[in-house]
Amino acid sequence: MKRFRLSISPLFLAIFAASGILAWSAPRAEKGDGILLSTMQTELERAKTSLAKSDPAPYFLSYEVYDQRTLMVAGAYGTIVTSAMGNHRWADVTMRVGSPAMDNTHNENRDSGISSGALPLADDRDAIARSLWELTDREYRRATPAYAKVMTNNSVQAAEEDKSPDFSEEAAQAHVEAPPAPVAFHQKEWEEKIRKYSALFRKYPEVYSSTVTLQVEQTTSYFVSSEGSKVETPGLVARLVVEADTRADDGMDLVRVETFESTNPEGLPSETELVAKEEKMASDLKALREAPLAEPFDGPALLSGRAAAVFFHEVLGHRLEGHRQRGETEGQTFTKKVNQPVLPAFLSVYDDPTLESINGVPLSGTYSHDDEGVPSQRVPLIQDGILKNFLMSRMPITNFSKSNGHGRHQAGFMPTGRQGNLIVESTKTVKDSDMRAQLIDEVKKQGKPYGLYFEDVQGGFTLTTRELPQAFQVLPVIVWRVYPDGRPDQLVRGVDIVGTPLASLNRILFTGDKTEVFNGICGAESGSVPVSASAPAMLFSEMEVQKRSASRERPPILPPPGFEETSGGSAPASPAGGAR
Amino acid sequence: MKISRRVPAWRVAAIVLGFLAASPFAAIAQQKTLPAEAAADPILRALQAELTRSKSQLKMDNVDSPFYIEYRVFDVEQFDASAAFGALRDQNRTRLRLIRAVVRLGDYKLDSFFNAGQGISDILPLDNDELAIRHTVWLATDQAYKRASEAFSNKKAQLKQLNIEQPVDDFAKADPVISIGPLAKLDFDPAKFSKMLESATSVYRNDPQIQSVSANLNFTVLSEYFVNTEGTVTRHGSAHYQMALSASEQAPDGMRLERSPQFTAVRLDELPTPEEFQKDAVKLVADMKTLREAPVVDEEYRGPVLFSNDASTDMFFELIVPNVLGRRPAPGRPARTVGAFASSWKARVLPDFISVVDDPTLDTFSGHGLGGSYQVDDEGVPAAPISVVDKGILVNYLIGRVPIRDFPVSNGHGRASGSGNTAPAPGNLFFRASKTSTRGELKKQLLDECRTRGLKYGYYVDTLGPRLAPRMLYRVWTDDGHEELVRGAVFNELDIRALRSDLVAAGDDPLVSNRTGLPFMTIVSPSVLFDELEVKRADNTKEKLPDYPAPALAAGRN
Repeated sequence: MKRFRLSISPLFLAIFAASGILAWSAPRAEKGDGILLSTMQTELERAKTSLAKSDPAPYFLSYEVYDQRTLMVAGAYGTIVTSAMGNHRWADVTMRVGSPAMDNTHNENRDSGISSGALPLADDRDAIARSLWELTDREYRRATPAYAKVMTNNSVQAAEEDKSPDFSEEAAQAHVEAPPAPVAFHQKEWEEKIRKYSALFRKYPEVYSSTVTLQVEQTTSYFVSSEGSKVETPGLVARLVVEADTRADDGMDLVRVETFESTNPEGLPSETELVAKEEKMASDLKALREAPLAEPFDGPALLSGRAAAVFFHEVLGHRLEGHRQRGETEGQTFTKKVNQPVLPAFLSVYDDPTLESINGVPLSGTYSHDDEGVPSQRVPLIQDGILKNFLMSRMPITNFSKSNGHGRHQAGFMPTGRQGNLIVESTKTVKDSDMRAQLIDEVKKQGKPYGLYFEDVQGGFTLTTRELPQAFQVLPVIVWRVYPDGRPDQLVRGVDIVGTPLASLNRILFTGDKTEVFNGICGAESGSVPVSASAPAMLFSEMEVQKRSASRERPPILPPPGFEETSGGSAPASPAGGAR
Repeated sequence: MKISRRVPAWRVAAIVLGFLAASPFAAIAQQKTLPAEAAADPILRALQAELTRSKSQLKMDNVDSPFYIEYRVFDVEQFDASAAFGALRDQNRTRLRLIRAVVRLGDYKLDSFFNAGQGISDILPLDNDELAIRHTVWLATDQAYKRASEAFSNKKAQLKQLNIEQPVDDFAKADPVISIGPLAKLDFDPAKFSKMLESATSVYRNDPQIQSVSANLNFTVLSEYFVNTEGTVTRHGSAHYQMALSASEQAPDGMRLERSPQFTAVRLDELPTPEEFQKDAVKLVADMKTLREAPVVDEEYRGPVLFSNDASTDMFFELIVPNVLGRRPAPGRPARTVGAFASSWKARVLPDFISVVDDPTLDTFSGHGLGGSYQVDDEGVPAAPISVVDKGILVNYLIGRVPIRDFPVSNGHGRASGSGNTAPAPGNLFFRASKTSTRGELKKQLLDECRTRGLKYGYYVDTLGPRLAPRMLYRVWTDDGHEELVRGAVFNELDIRALRSDLVAAGDDPLVSNRTGLPFMTIVSPSVLFDELEVKRADNTKEKLPDYPAPALAAGRN
């Protein structure tokens, strides 16, 4: 049974950054990129010509190289936990044997299309050529037996429902953006800042553990293909992730995460701004520890723009990924719904990787060319509630024979259709400031004791396969009960949004008038890619929530070091001996 | 290095290379009281503060207080680099500080050390900030205590289902020890070593047929701290410097051929010089050429085989080491230990002219630094020479503080390979022969034995690869004694039975083999002669040769 866990969560950043391969190295030679790109082209041509004589011969070959500089500094409690600068070069060799109609990457053999490895850090023409040759030879040995297997399966198995070819025809691209000068990393200065930023939580005994992580990545990607494409695109991203957690007396772990993202390290928030956020995180955690547990609920709910954005990413976005429409194990919720209404008519959804920011907030899923060298474009997915298009890589599906620039991957994985910047637009809006009043009206109308307001979420995941329930989950962190009788809103903890996709999407009554952005890292079959989702706040007539399952491990027994002798018995941590 | 699942494998790089050097191998004396230097050590201070607090206050309702708590800090500094085809691919300097907190409930006879109750690992701050370090230790201790209490209930429930005839204590008593040694630091010139790797791997230019040439190095310096509630406090440093070459190619018939000579030392000056490393690389490429042109072994051979000292260290490491460790079987299993020698105590496991001793207290052997040296093990128990096999008879297992039947106390072999659990492992394991022969005498004995059996040649194995498959294997011809390199062989039934019954002679050439990886350990053994072993043709599928040639060299051949 195949199972994918798809998620969008800044929490993943820390893990992602941590497992990345970070190397330290001498600065690279001047004017080196010419050598890298030209060696890639020469070696690609040589492989193409030489292997043309082999049987079976590849009909497509591409080299993609990532030249990356990274800085990661992580701190906790006023100290540095890890600090690393790195320099890394990685090559993906993609090969297709057979014909576009049917090749070695067919169905479950998709991974046979790619082989990856490290490249020399220096611009040594001979060493680069030799490394690419090794990878190409290795890839050819993978692709050919896979192709034989595909041909055999094809002759013994029943015809597939979707008879689309395995690879779309696309025009060759030439796009060379010279990489900018290496950005200064200022590692020592950042270490000092991270010490300072992470020290703030020292004064909050109820914050059990916390980390502040800075990650800067400057990557230039080089792509050449046997079709004649040559694409060079630079990129720079800086992220600051603050994570803090605590545990309620009943054992429920409570987490707050704040992520800041910018196209350069200087664009990250100032100390004042950050400290304010951290103070808010600490007080949120304190309030959450004391908040009552949510009860299972089915009733009106207001989702903030960020919460609605994650909801759409999980519930809709993943199900519009092109390759899921032909996967025979996939649920295919939307495959046969093209030109049919799938959302209320006042909603439209598009994915636009060409857009760099919304309301001044930079978007994570921006790129000029996708990982198959296809230019990015704005793709209207749903217009006035009607399904129009899918997120297409170069894997065609019935009635959609071309890529629309959404073939994305993490280095080392075969690209599939993925989201970039998913944007939800609405024509039925009320002022954001009126949304709460509207929620109360809806609660009264339905005669419910209260409605729920989802202020913030940390991410979610969804299952799209046939064997498992077509479920999704959004993981809210700040949720309020809003009472119709004028009582103040009440924070609750341990809420999970659940439900089935089609039903829940059609319970949206109207939206707010301001778009909010959620930036995150999304993981799926083709690896982790940066994405954004943007949406206005939304009022749902009905939303189903369940109680989050939690461990029963109590908060720490002893107070934190440094808080042992707090006077007056008001021990700052949990009551001592919080026992069973 | 193993760290817990909760903790991401952060790879840390530092750019300041000018660390102070201190020899990690200065003699470590055992002290009666904590020296002032240790009393001021911020890590030891933080550990002691949490140890004291937890010992006296950690208590949940209806759950016992811990009877034992220990903390082990593992401060690892590493430099890794790799190069291929004359160019650097990777260069990292990383530092990570890890803690393992173990909390035991119950008593020495029956305790909570079981499944998830065996301790908690986490990452400690690199800064010497006592309060911040204590904060992490506090959380790890709390979690370890709660896990221990759950594990203890589970363990007791499981034991109720079993009938245990010869109960063995769960945890051995040990005397408190104070042993404070100097810490180790990495101090070297990275540019020099990166250059060595680049220069050595550029030898691929010498031979158009060789497919891959790479080299890597790993320098690891450890500072370990250990405290427990019995009063033991230890601190010591150790270092390990490893360099390796690696080459891969295919013979004309497609057979994959690989070699990976490596050098491991405890002092930087024991590593090859740039000139020596270069010479080794040139020789490696030349050997690879001879190897791919060498004939494939005959289908089957049964007769005498001579192992070089290098090959015999690998063989003893694989066949003997796992079987002489006192590792406790699962609860209820009646075996004394785990492994092939579980029932061999006081029985013959090697020929009577071979004895095996583990001696972690020795720093050098014939001037070579020994990697497996230590004065106190990772459970705070002092090391001592232990006779493992005496004149062929198994007399001891190497054991830590988890007792096995008939071995109630530790003999100082509880060793850690990171922030995971300690486990029994050797330090410096010496294979000593009571009668030895020169290389010439061994070869003569090999040939005499061949002639007696009417064999035209015998085998001499110079180096072994993974799974004890020979890499440099020679036929030694009886007519004129010449040695002929062959390829494509495996041994059949090279096992503990062969060691016990078919080993007939040993050389006078003991070789120090410092093993790679953690915990650091060393095997010292001479050449050995088997009077009968089966050598047969490997049943490996042969890959196709590359479909197109390697790229022409722009910068020319060497």
